[in-house]
Amino acid sequence: MSFIHNGVEIEDTFAEGFSMWGSRIIITASSQKWADIAATTMTGFATSVIACDCEAGIESFIAPDDSPDGRPGTAVMVYGFSRGKLSASMLNRLGQCVLTCPTTAVYNGLPEEAADEMLDIGKSVRFFGDGYQVKMRMGDGWQQRQRFWRIPVMQGEFLIEEKIGAKKAVAGGNFLVMGDTEENTLKAAEASIEAIKTVPGIITPFPGGLCRSGSKVGSTYSFLKASTNTPFCPSIKNSFKESKIPEGVNSVIEVVLNGLDEPSVMRAMGLGIDAATEVEGVKSITAVNFDGKLGKFKMSLRKSLEGI
Amino acid sequence: MIKKIVLTPKGFSSIPIEADVISPDVFAGKTLKEIRNLPIHYGNEEIEMKEYIHAQGKVAETPENQMIVIDGDARHIKQIGTKMTSGRIVVQGWAGMHLGAQMSGGDITVTGNALDWVGAEMKGGLIRILGDAGNLLGAAYRGSSEGMTGGCIAVTGSAGIEMGSFMRRGMIVVLGDTGDFTGVHMNGGEIFIFGKPGKRVGAQARGNGGFIACFGGVNDMLPTYRFDTTYTPVFMRLYLKELYEKLGLSTAAQFIDTPMKRYRGDLAVGGNAEILVA
Repeated sequence: MSFIHNGVEIEDTFAEGFSMWGSRIIITASSQKWADIAATTMTGFATSVIACDCEAGIESFIAPDDSPDGRPGTAVMVYGFSRGKLSASMLNRLGQCVLTCPTTAVYNGLPEEAADEMLDIGKSVRFFGDGYQVKMRMGDGWQQRQRFWRIPVMQGEFLIEEKIGAKKAVAGGNFLVMGDTEENTLKAAEASIEAIKTVPGIITPFPGGLCRSGSKVGSTYSFLKASTNTPFCPSIKNSFKESKIPEGVNSVIEVVLNGLDEPSVMRAMGLGIDAATEVEGVKSITAVNFDGKLGKFKMSLRKSLEGI
Repeated sequence: MIKKIVLTPKGFSSIPIEADVISPDVFAGKTLKEIRNLPIHYGNEEIEMKEYIHAQGKVAETPENQMIVIDGDARHIKQIGTKMTSGRIVVQGWAGMHLGAQMSGGDITVTGNALDWVGAEMKGGLIRILGDAGNLLGAAYRGSSEGMTGGCIAVTGSAGIEMGSFMRRGMIVVLGDTGDFTGVHMNGGEIFIFGKPGKRVGAQARGNGGFIACFGGVNDMLPTYRFDTTYTPVFMRLYLKELYEKLGLSTAAQFIDTPMKRYRGDLAVGGNAEILVA
């Protein structure tokens, strides 16, 4: 079953999403350059929990007027399979990639009222201060109560909010962009990413937001838990019996996205698909799922487009 | 919906009036007649409020919707807003001692000066003094080990001696100068002085995250404070931004990127409080 959107065939299927714990932080620095360096370093090697400790990405850039301390910032989101794993990943990554980065400060980007849990991230990082850390209090009795830790470091002082919000979130939103040439397919997938960036609370953890080597569960090799997504590899479409590559398609790129809630992921998927279909050469769009047997969320491509 | 009662003092009295009943918590839910008959102390005599203060206006059902305006010189009226938990008081003129003492919520604005003990042992809420404040602003009462534990006091003019003594939490902001022993025995909380503090600032302060930021410099730093470094701390941006955005203090915004000298003490008591000097 399929339907047509902007003249492109969209398979009437769904992306199968998984429940993960997600959190959001805001990294500020003396310039956008250093905020980005910290954010990029922190979100490195965090594309998929298949082989990474977490999934992470840059959500948005924060203008000085909108950032907690009036400096330029970058919002980062991190996803883990459990609260414990998320906490550990956050702690390691903040400690090694942001604490070490000149001029940075870290603020909670998921307010307590929107979070399911508040993780003691800053409260743990504070021990780096070796007894010289200072607890900073704000708002007691007249504004919203806030707690931070000031940690002395060689460059000056590192400031981090005591608690970081986390909530049960959605990972594994996806769709496959299938085009006539590698160039057109990449162009369409890039257009998807630009559209997805407009949705708050969403990250696309793969390089540039795109995965050109989608995987399937299992392998012919017993020691490998995931291997290339053979049904969607155009270069073997006539060699592999169960190939799902439609006629005229010579390249496929997967867009993978995680979000704080299902509606946001659905909206981002819809906008991404819509943007891709406006690029010349796109032949078809589908999504990856496991027949609904593994994931908690079934995000229909049709409904995602209806929602935009 | 906010309802307003206007209290008009019937002239100045050299004998102080103690009127801790002037509070939204006491007024709310009463009739105007009941409010006029509330007991106050005139010297050592208990009298009805109507004898010295005229009350007129509308009474709210709940304290958070009650606004009290004191229209006239009230420097002889003590304990206005003492222990209040919500609502609003505006004093159009001077206010007497113990204004907002031990309050835990709501806000008080004084357009003139306020005398001693404003916000003493305050727990929450906001007090704004558009003129000068007297001595012992936000201080602990004698014999008490904790002064302010929350809330914010902002003074547009200057403040007297022993401001923030035994302060534990909360914030005091003074745009002008402060008297001697500012932050004495402080053990937490934040004090911002945009003028200059008097002698022995931070004496016997212990720390617990507490600091005194002096944006107009310090004349006499105690020898028991040790100079550490000059830097531009990021955390100060948060406070200055808050002062500007929440309290409208444009002076604060001018100091956002100002380097500050960090002093740590009071070593006489093994303290780790900070005095930051612009």
